[in-house]
Amino acid sequence: MRKKEIPWIILFLLPTCAVFLLIFAVPLCMVIGGSFFNYRLMPKTFSFNGIGNYIQLFTQDKNFWLIFRNTLVWIVIHCVFHVALGTLLAFVLYKKPRGWKFVRVVYMIPNIISQSAIAMIFLNMYNPQYGVLNSILKAVGLEKLQHNWLFEMGTAFPAVTMTWFLFAGYTTTLVLAQCLSLDEGIIEAAKIDGASSLQIDRLVVFPLAKDMIRTTVIMAATYMLQLFSMIYLTSGGGPGSTTTNLPLYLYTTMKSTNYGYANTIGVVIIVVGMVTMFLINRVFHTREE
Amino acid sequence: MKRAKLSPGERAVRIFGYILMILAVIVALYPILWVILSSFKTNKEILSSGLSLPEHFSLDGYKQALEMAPIFQFFATSLMISVTATVLNVLFLSMSGYIFAKKRFRGKNILFWILSLSMVIPTTALLSPVFTVISKMGLYDTKAALIIVYIALSMPVSLMILRSTFSAIPDELEEAARMDGAGFLKNFFLVMIPCAKGGMASAAVLAFLESWNEFTFALILTSSVSTRTLPLSLSYFTAQFSFNYTALFAAITIAVIPSIVIFAFFQEQVNQSLVAGSVKG
Repeated sequence: MRKKEIPWIILFLLPTCAVFLLIFAVPLCMVIGGSFFNYRLMPKTFSFNGIGNYIQLFTQDKNFWLIFRNTLVWIVIHCVFHVALGTLLAFVLYKKPRGWKFVRVVYMIPNIISQSAIAMIFLNMYNPQYGVLNSILKAVGLEKLQHNWLFEMGTAFPAVTMTWFLFAGYTTTLVLAQCLSLDEGIIEAAKIDGASSLQIDRLVVFPLAKDMIRTTVIMAATYMLQLFSMIYLTSGGGPGSTTTNLPLYLYTTMKSTNYGYANTIGVVIIVVGMVTMFLINRVFHTREE
Repeated sequence: MKRAKLSPGERAVRIFGYILMILAVIVALYPILWVILSSFKTNKEILSSGLSLPEHFSLDGYKQALEMAPIFQFFATSLMISVTATVLNVLFLSMSGYIFAKKRFRGKNILFWILSLSMVIPTTALLSPVFTVISKMGLYDTKAALIIVYIALSMPVSLMILRSTFSAIPDELEEAARMDGAGFLKNFFLVMIPCAKGGMASAAVLAFLESWNEFTFALILTSSVSTRTLPLSLSYFTAQFSFNYTALFAAITIAVIPSIVIFAFFQEQVNQSLVAGSVKG
């Protein structure tokens, strides 16, 4: 290393480190530290609370476990079924059937436009008066089955889930790119050996695409832990807390200016994220052996 | 692909594939087409049947939508914030990515590990303290607040992409430039940057998409109309257009169409960027 380069190195690292400190490091310390305080504006209080917030969250908060369960269920649905759907389509497309490029581009569109727009579209599609779902039921004479989908106890959770469940464009694009980058010679060789296309998919392509699938599973889990606008703009988390997840709960807690408690929920989100990532890597690791 | 005779099994697989493709297209396009078609219907038509086609195409909905909500202003705000955040993000992370790829100094690995932490923290967990930090800096309800936050949100992916981009540039290039007497800055801007264009483009695409579509932080960090971004403005539409469904659908269409058009033009680049950015875990 050259001595005279040191100022330049510091200068070049400075902006990145400053942004990191401001938006990640300091807030992370505040979340962890703040989770041990009773800090709220109404009524104005600021006092050390030990693990009081955690005790309250885990044992007294009536909503917490339902919200926690919602978050986990959504992570599992997303990591397993949503990714499976996207992967399945990628395995269809990599054989380049007619129109594969068109499908790849079109299927990506819902992932490119903002999630809040998708949320608004679904809010209207689920509308009990003029929405698509109820209109179809009316058209086929099944008015009995009409619901106010997003706002009834029994239908809200699946209705909200469907606003993102089918849009696996990211997964398809990534897995497809991986499949297309494979050496075609391997596939040709397998064909000559008389392998059926399903056998090739399962025994040749899948193992080579597995690392990318693992990546998409992790991205799916991360996405679910960031999920906010899709719920906030559709069901708003209700009825009751039936469609609330941890980020939305953190937001509403924060809005009621109960900052200490919001931070406790933040810590839970971080821990869930770490554990999920660990488990996903574990699952894919043991499969390899 | 050879058109050899297919066994019944192979044929079933192929038919299944086509069905899946058709379903994927319907799932992706129907909601958007429904909104666009509805934007041409009258309020009465919408309420009488959600499925019917518009009787005649009228642009009244668009006229009303633009009168009732300054959509183009939201558009401009979004564009200004996203472009600034993207440019700064790529500049800052090219600088640090270059250092991490090419320079050696004490504590480099520890520093990189610490910065990588940003990859595993779900940012929603940080909502409340980020709000506090931004407010303490006096930046609440400013465009600058969102720019800083968006630079940070795209930081992990950009860092990974750009570090590996600069790592892939041969060391000899830098050596040769130094022999020719190029200083640190000249070397970075005239030798390194031109070689890193591909990676920078990928990082820029992802950073732009992230900023353009972000909702949560925009919601908690801004309040006035002058700082409202396009995704955030959507959340006010229901109230703004109360019971004027034609205008509501027109407004959603206006908000959605540009992204789709731009994506249609740049989809190859976007796809490449997504692959380059898939570095999680």
